[in-house]
Amino acid sequence: MREATLTMTEPISGNAGDVVNRPAPAHADPIAIEEAELVQRARKGDLAAYDQIVRRYQERVYATVYHMTSNHEDANDLTQEAFIKGYQALKSFKGGSSFYTWVYRIAVNKTINFLKQRKNRAQMSLNDLDFNAEHDPDLVALISDKNPRREAGLTELQEKLNEGMQKLSEPHRLVVTLHDVQGLSHEEIAKIMGCNIGTVRSRLFYARQQLQGFLADYLK
Amino acid sequence: MNQDSENFDSLRQLLALKRHEVPPPGYFDRLPRDVMARIKAGDAGNELGAEISWFRRFLNVFDVKPIFAGAFGTAVCAFLISGVITAERTPAFAAGTITPMDPMANVPATGATTADTQFGVSSNTLASDGSLFDNLPSLRTTPVSYFPGAN
Repeated sequence: MREATLTMTEPISGNAGDVVNRPAPAHADPIAIEEAELVQRARKGDLAAYDQIVRRYQERVYATVYHMTSNHEDANDLTQEAFIKGYQALKSFKGGSSFYTWVYRIAVNKTINFLKQRKNRAQMSLNDLDFNAEHDPDLVALISDKNPRREAGLTELQEKLNEGMQKLSEPHRLVVTLHDVQGLSHEEIAKIMGCNIGTVRSRLFYARQQLQGFLADYLK
Repeated sequence: MNQDSENFDSLRQLLALKRHEVPPPGYFDRLPRDVMARIKAGDAGNELGAEISWFRRFLNVFDVKPIFAGAFGTAVCAFLISGVITAERTPAFAAGTITPMDPMANVPATGATTADTQFGVSSNTLASDGSLFDNLPSLRTTPVSYFPGAN
């Protein structure tokens, strides 16, 4: 699971869609070329190719949806639906952005629609923390002053953090998730959200302010 | 103003906790299988029926780019509003001078008395005579005599 965490923060590969429509230059990113080939095969109905695409991006897509919903079951359903929708809509994928950005956008739109519908019946179903959490220097430093019982402290922090996240509006929660949790750049977030970078920055600042207010008791 | 580092260090430390939340073991092995199974089930459904309908594809576009949904909604509203405004501004319609279409209005007023025109019923006839069967020719029966030995 540590591997999954690391892959979540990998930068998005280049514009694979451009490679689909034009001959690849010699210096093109091999990952992007491979993605483009997989996408082309999947467009022709090759399910094995699409299976590889799903395996490649599932962790990042799932993580985003999970952090938005704070519910594993909902995240599971939405992630599956996003990949199914991605397959059904492959013919409309023009390659203007990378496939990753495109499927991410589908997942984000589905999640936001879902959250608007469930508005008043939000229920958290949190995933367990992995073993490495106890050894994360940031977290150790954060809880050592608060609570000597580390495990209980981390679980409590996890619940409060998720409650705080759920109090944010969907766009603000999404920006915090993509930037502070997933490690995406402002440019990448702007592409996914379909807004400009200034909007991303201002939303991030406001969301952090809000979150800091909610979690004041748990921050130094 | 550096927004990334402005007093948010503790918060960012705390948010690092989210990266340690992991789904149950084996989840990422099951997920692609579930997705593929659902896609195959959908494909089987499509083969039985037909391709995905044009309406479904139309909705898919909205999922990928929600701005299209907004643009489409705006266009439909604009069309409806312009239709209502146009209808209200049409003088004949507003004055009530447009009458319902008379189905017999275009029947040529010739003197020919074919079977078709004889039995045609106009609203005027109905209004004056009051009965639908008044203009029907009276049926007269002529008895037929048959004598087998006459020839």
